[in-house]
Amino acid sequence: MSLRTPRARPPHARPPGEPRTIGWLYVLPALLVYAVFLLWPLVRGVWFSLYDWDGVSAGTWAGLSNYAETLTDPSLRAAFGHALILAVFYAIVPCLIAFVLVAIISRTRVRGLAVFRTVLFLPQVVAMVAVAVAWQWVYSADGPVNTVLRGLHRLGLPDWSRGWLGDFTFALPAVGLIGTWVEIGLAMVLFLAGVQKIPRELFEAARIDGAGPVREFLAVTLPALRRELAVALTLTTIAALRNFDLVYITTKGGPGDSTKVPAYEVYNRAFNTGEVGLACAIGVTLAVLVFAVTAAVGRLAEGRPGEAP
Amino acid sequence: MLKPVGRLLAASVLVAGAVACAPGADGGRPGGRAPSEVSTEVAKAGQVTLTVWDQEVQGGQRAQIERLNAGFQAKYPNVRIHRVARSFSDLQKTLRLALSGGDPPDVVQANQGYASMGQFVKAGMLLPLTPYDRVYGWRKRYPKALTDLNSVSPDGRSIGTGDLYGVSLNGEIVGIYVNREKLARLGIGPPRTWAEFERALAAAKGKGELPVVFGNLEKLPAMQTYGVIQDQLAGKDPVRSLIFGTGGKWTDGPNVQAARTLADWAERGYFNKDANAVKWDDTPVDFAKGQGVFMIGGNWWAADLQKKMGAKAGFMAPPPAQAGAPPTTMGGESLPFSITSKSRHPDVAAAYIDYITSPQAMDVSVETGNLPALAAPSKRPEGALTKDVAAAWAELSKGDGITPYIDYATPGLADTLGGPLQELIAGRTTPEKALEAAQRDYEEFLKGK
Amino acid sequence: MISARERWLNHAILVVFAVIALFPMIGVVATALSLPDADPGVFADAWREGHFALYLRNSLIVSTVTVVAGTLLSITAGYALGALRFRGSGPLFLLFLAGLTIPTEAVVVPLYFDLRSAGLDNTYAGVILPQTAQSVAFGAFWMRAYFRGVPRSLLEAARMDGASSWTTLWRVLVPMGRPAILTMVVLTSMWTWNEFLLPLVILNADDGVRTAPLGLSFFQGGHQTDYALLMAGALIIAAPIVAVYLFLQRHFIAGMLSGAIKE
Repeated sequence: MSLRTPRARPPHARPPGEPRTIGWLYVLPALLVYAVFLLWPLVRGVWFSLYDWDGVSAGTWAGLSNYAETLTDPSLRAAFGHALILAVFYAIVPCLIAFVLVAIISRTRVRGLAVFRTVLFLPQVVAMVAVAVAWQWVYSADGPVNTVLRGLHRLGLPDWSRGWLGDFTFALPAVGLIGTWVEIGLAMVLFLAGVQKIPRELFEAARIDGAGPVREFLAVTLPALRRELAVALTLTTIAALRNFDLVYITTKGGPGDSTKVPAYEVYNRAFNTGEVGLACAIGVTLAVLVFAVTAAVGRLAEGRPGEAP
Repeated sequence: MLKPVGRLLAASVLVAGAVACAPGADGGRPGGRAPSEVSTEVAKAGQVTLTVWDQEVQGGQRAQIERLNAGFQAKYPNVRIHRVARSFSDLQKTLRLALSGGDPPDVVQANQGYASMGQFVKAGMLLPLTPYDRVYGWRKRYPKALTDLNSVSPDGRSIGTGDLYGVSLNGEIVGIYVNREKLARLGIGPPRTWAEFERALAAAKGKGELPVVFGNLEKLPAMQTYGVIQDQLAGKDPVRSLIFGTGGKWTDGPNVQAARTLADWAERGYFNKDANAVKWDDTPVDFAKGQGVFMIGGNWWAADLQKKMGAKAGFMAPPPAQAGAPPTTMGGESLPFSITSKSRHPDVAAAYIDYITSPQAMDVSVETGNLPALAAPSKRPEGALTKDVAAAWAELSKGDGITPYIDYATPGLADTLGGPLQELIAGRTTPEKALEAAQRDYEEFLKGK
Repeated sequence: MISARERWLNHAILVVFAVIALFPMIGVVATALSLPDADPGVFADAWREGHFALYLRNSLIVSTVTVVAGTLLSITAGYALGALRFRGSGPLFLLFLAGLTIPTEAVVVPLYFDLRSAGLDNTYAGVILPQTAQSVAFGAFWMRAYFRGVPRSLLEAARMDGASSWTTLWRVLVPMGRPAILTMVVLTSMWTWNEFLLPLVILNADDGVRTAPLGLSFFQGGHQTDYALLMAGALIIAAPIVAVYLFLQRHFIAGMLSGAIKE
């Protein structure tokens, strides 16, 4: 995904006779819907964020104080910190796992690859709300995770069973692991698409040079997957930053504030505690963050500045 | 390259600035004014669909409201009740949104307190019931303590004065459930004083039993447990003035001491260790399965537990400091049924509220295993557990021993006290720090109120 | 060239991950049916008590309208941005691309208040229109990538044959781009079907328009303790989109592999 604008083609490359402005007609309907129902609300959100407003009575001008609160309030700062931790679970871990899987697939002629791909992508397809309900059971007191851990305990290991979603230390990673589970399939399907474009000869050449699986991966596969990696990282990081459904269903931000995330706080502040201006400031901050991540990852994928595109 | 985009954004901001005044200033709200003329003739109202939002999703309460709704529709065939039931926390989360929408339900259960009803009244979302009270005489039907909880001044600043905004069906108290079988096996009699209760907890723990089964995923349960302890240590009057914002601080000595007690219990292993991960509504299920000698919880679980445990389960008000003294606990009445100011059928809604809070309705409450807010005229509870609940309620009412729920105090308290209490239970904060967080939120809310 | 042992190990790793991916779902089915004493009646109970027939219908309406509208708008916009390259198409593309990074969370609060003023809260339109806008932000980007990949010679040839830009689009490019379009359709229908925050806020009062994920969330609130019933509910709302995925995944993966991603 590139944030660069395509270089305008020199005029002679344009098909002669193609009306220049007809493009606008094609774009206009989409632009209209997009502007009214996405851009305009964003502008309104920025506007609201400059007010102290409870959502019912008239608001009062607050300047940038809501942003100041977003950045200084300990529980809100913690929420953004949690989002970054979740990004590790949502983006980095799945990409690493997907790399391993893809490396394996590219080396081995895998039987039933299509089935495998279908299965691994499945978690992406299921509604987060349903995923959350299922994982609540997985983590529950008598759920499979604790049952296995208690079994291990009986075999002599320490008792690791606990209430995962209510544990101050483990609730956030527990939520994060659900994200990992969901995003592996996305990263893998993207990487597979990339790998299949790599000429077989490159692999052959690497093997003739005596490269092992690791070197082969680093020398051949990884460089070829840079774009796919950028797309995967962007999509999964955004999913992490936007995590609302999972937290809303499984932990409601608890225990304490330990799984509070910005997306949840937008909802919570706007509709529970009646701090609409602050909620909008959090939302706008989140949008800026998402934009920054997209731009940064896009830039990384483009390579060093100055390198020929 | 970003220039055109920047220009466009700048233009939109300008446009926005031109049309926008402060948000909320333009929406002239009509609501909140009492109707000047009321009618009680529901049969002549024509075909009416009355949308009612309630939170009675648990077995006993559900049966109660379903029977009452059916009765009302049988009495007035021209009225259809469209019932939307959601759990307490789901209702809390959606009511604010729905009430400020263009087409809110006609009747809603709006929680008492500054966090909900106070704010809704201030925003003109609820209809003052005074004109209907003149016709139906609710204030005469209910003791003043109960109607006071449902009365708010027009500015939402003072509970217990001003118009009546809702009427409740059931009485509510948070008390102590006892697994009689286990208690007998431990060789302990029912505790008659708070000290005896704490000794019983220690004894249970000592014999390898779980003293208190506790589910606190939602944060609210710990606030109720804290409230029960606070009532014993601080006493009812300081608690009342604290919650209604007329004096006192969360950081006052007895309040901190109550938090310390809660932390102690957790540290000594009186609660199941994964308490913060267990859902509130799973607690009575676990208790019925035989977990815990005691369970601190509201009487709203009694109807279901009666069915599951029979005579094995008992209920009592928290025992007082001295044997025989009047007990104190948190409670009051169930969420009141209120009429929204945008309802198109306020007369029918008022008749509905009158019907479901009538003396006959109190009988239905008893029959479905619940605790009616008013004494039922002809029915008496049959199960051992529901009898216990009724006795505790009678005793508490006689001694004026019921303090309001602490989450009435501010809208944010569930986070600012509930969150720290979870940390306290996990041993990650001190009682002082936990209550400082609550006090900060409390002061801020009182300032802006 | 690869040792039998590595081959075996590789397959083992893949199988482990496949099991992990399926595990919670198998668990869901097992719990819903309360295996080993299977009781399919739990689905009927959940179906009835959760009003899922109504919620699925609502989700179907919302998703269908959103995806159809979003797809049409995305195709035309992507065509203009990718193949026609008119004056200002660069900045315009950036504008759409920026939309790809606008999270629902940033707009949901103002959307709620503005849609409410417009009387669109608790209506299908209230959730369809914003989601169409989001689909367009993604779709314009996605389709532009496809249209940019179309060889110029093909466009020239179509034009030589006297085809207008409109005819070229619908007669030549769209049929050719079916894999890319199908991918987009699957993605946007999945996102729309599964969207939770927007319906939660916009469809706050009227039970009759509530979408399936929202229905499940309230169902969960009312049946906290009954895991079998909850799991049945989760399966019911997940099933339609999973079915679509299983049915269309060939095209979907074909779309992915054809390199529509390549910029």
